Amino acid sequence: MIRVENIKKYFPIKDGFFNNKSGDVKAVENVSFEIPEGEILGLVGESGSGKSTLGRAIIRLIEPTKGNIFYKNKNITKLSDSEMRKLRKDFQIIFQDPYASLDPRKKVFDIISQGLKVHEKIDKNLMNQRVEEIIQDVGLQKEHLNRYPHEFSGGQRQRIGIARALVLNPKFIIADEPVSALDVTIQAQILNLILELKKKYSLTILFISHDLSVINQIADRVMVMYLGHIVEVANTRNLFSNPQHPYTRSLIETAPQIFRKNKKKTLLKGDIPSPINPPSGCVFRTRCPNPSIDCKGGNIEMGLIEIEPGHWVDQCCANCN
Amino acid sequence: MHSENLLSIKNLKTHFTVGKSVVKAVDGVSFNLEAGKTFAIVGESGSGKSITALSIMGLLPNNLAQTERGEILFDNKNLIDLEENQMRKIRGNRISMIFQEPMTSLNPVYDLSYQISETIILHQKKSKEQARKIAIEMLDLVGIPEPQKRIDSYPHELSGGMRQRAMIAMALSCNPKILIADEPTTALDVTIQAQIIDLMQELQKKLGMSIIFITHDLGVVSEISDHVMVMYLGNVMEIAETSELFNNPLHSYTKSLIDIAPQISDEKREIKVLRGEIPSPTNPPSGCVFRTRCPNPSIDCKGGNIEMGLIEAKPGHWVDRCCYECNQT
Repeated sequence: MIRVENIKKYFPIKDGFFNNKSGDVKAVENVSFEIPEGEILGLVGESGSGKSTLGRAIIRLIEPTKGNIFYKNKNITKLSDSEMRKLRKDFQIIFQDPYASLDPRKKVFDIISQGLKVHEKIDKNLMNQRVEEIIQDVGLQKEHLNRYPHEFSGGQRQRIGIARALVLNPKFIIADEPVSALDVTIQAQILNLILELKKKYSLTILFISHDLSVINQIADRVMVMYLGHIVEVANTRNLFSNPQHPYTRSLIETAPQIFRKNKKKTLLKGDIPSPINPPSGCVFRTRCPNPSIDCKGGNIEMGLIEIEPGHWVDQCCANCN
Repeated sequence: MHSENLLSIKNLKTHFTVGKSVVKAVDGVSFNLEAGKTFAIVGESGSGKSITALSIMGLLPNNLAQTERGEILFDNKNLIDLEENQMRKIRGNRISMIFQEPMTSLNPVYDLSYQISETIILHQKKSKEQARKIAIEMLDLVGIPEPQKRIDSYPHELSGGMRQRAMIAMALSCNPKILIADEPTTALDVTIQAQIIDLMQELQKKLGMSIIFITHDLGVVSEISDHVMVMYLGNVMEIAETSELFNNPLHSYTKSLIDIAPQISDEKREIKVLRGEIPSPTNPPSGCVFRTRCPNPSIDCKGGNIEMGLIEAKPGHWVDRCCYECNQT
């Protein structure tokens, strides 16, 4: 469905009186992956790892600096704005913060129908019908359409955000931390809703989250990202039962769990380094619990290798282990 | 083993008057905090966790909030009856607090030296130089590298995890008996969260203070606390030792929370759901406040005819009687 090849995104830093370029924020570095139709691909990482930038770059809401994106085997990287606009209705985003992502001065009906007005020239009755249908699909009622966002709770707002994303019958959804701002009981409701709607609308989803236990519940396959690089990819079961990269391992071990099987905890030292000036060689080496001499020297180039069918891990750590 | 109660809260009620309506943010909370132990308060947003903490600290504005009946016993004194100047001697000195958002709870225009020394000078009557020395020791204690240099940093120069460490240093600088931590790791990344939890446990071993740990995350509760209190809509649903609560929950709400908490497992599990949302505290359900979301309410529950109140089901395991009786039959 979606294939991404060597995508890279640098944000220039401008400084001084003449706005001279003084450096780059290296948000995404040489990332390649595929999402088959009907899959939920989980993307997990800490803040600053480049998850959201990658998500937005795939659908060209941010122009990637380099690399190619294929949608249904068609290269969409070089499409003009008007050509891209026609494709836009196939791609939708569900955002993290349901308080910030809905226009407070618009009624729910206008928020949801906006996309229909732009992309599909349909008459009013048909539009009303479509909006009423979708609002019930996300578990709200017709009466809610005449209200403003501030009249809703966080969970209900997220439902409105989902309705807005689905009204155009998209093929590919980017869910960017859709449950992070919600209470646990509401979080479970929204996750279930996303799974239900995925079936009903046959969606393909890139699910971005910092929470491994959420990813564990919802994703078919998982990519772990650190400082702009993908460090491990595997199907959900393999990743959690047999994690290979020390970063993945530490994430799994330190995720707070009620019933923990494994009491061992490997704490990572320090903070994630700045993406303006990432460590040379393996970007994880400054926090790695047991780096080799080659790692420390920064002499190893990063890149994924396949260690078992479908399970890819960064070569630096694969060799170390 | 017998351990003494450091802080004892009985039937605490904090109500806000908003226009003509009364919001019962905390409606009859009782619990005991043992010396050197960690007591977790868990619940969804709006359940009254933070208001409980702020009531203990006496940090709520008098004109808005009425902390009416009830007792907060600390050091043989009822904190509710204390005058502001007496309370000030306790706050930040004997009982101190850290908050969720380390970005907003540090003052951006002062450096760490000033902010940490302030409490030391005020409560311990030290000179500026002595206070600065203590502040540097505190930064070292909470694991901030190069404390002599870092002491002159401003909050914006620190990462989120470092800021939370600085907050902890500030809170512990007067060697308090009780540390109240209100969602201290919620705003942090998982790897940093693990560091901070580890640090708090280490400091508790070293300094022996008691911790009241407020969180919405049951996973964090199981990592850090000795006892847990589950709150819902201003009321206590259940109190027990941590492992007892997780292995043998008695209240339907606690059971649901444990069921739906995301767990890492090798098998794909069905996502369980507790329907509905937490009702508005201006107009809570009559009788048992949980009845609108209860998976299997009895006829009496539905009618709202049951009055709430904790009963001790087993030694040390308290549960709201409404649900307990329901689940027994």
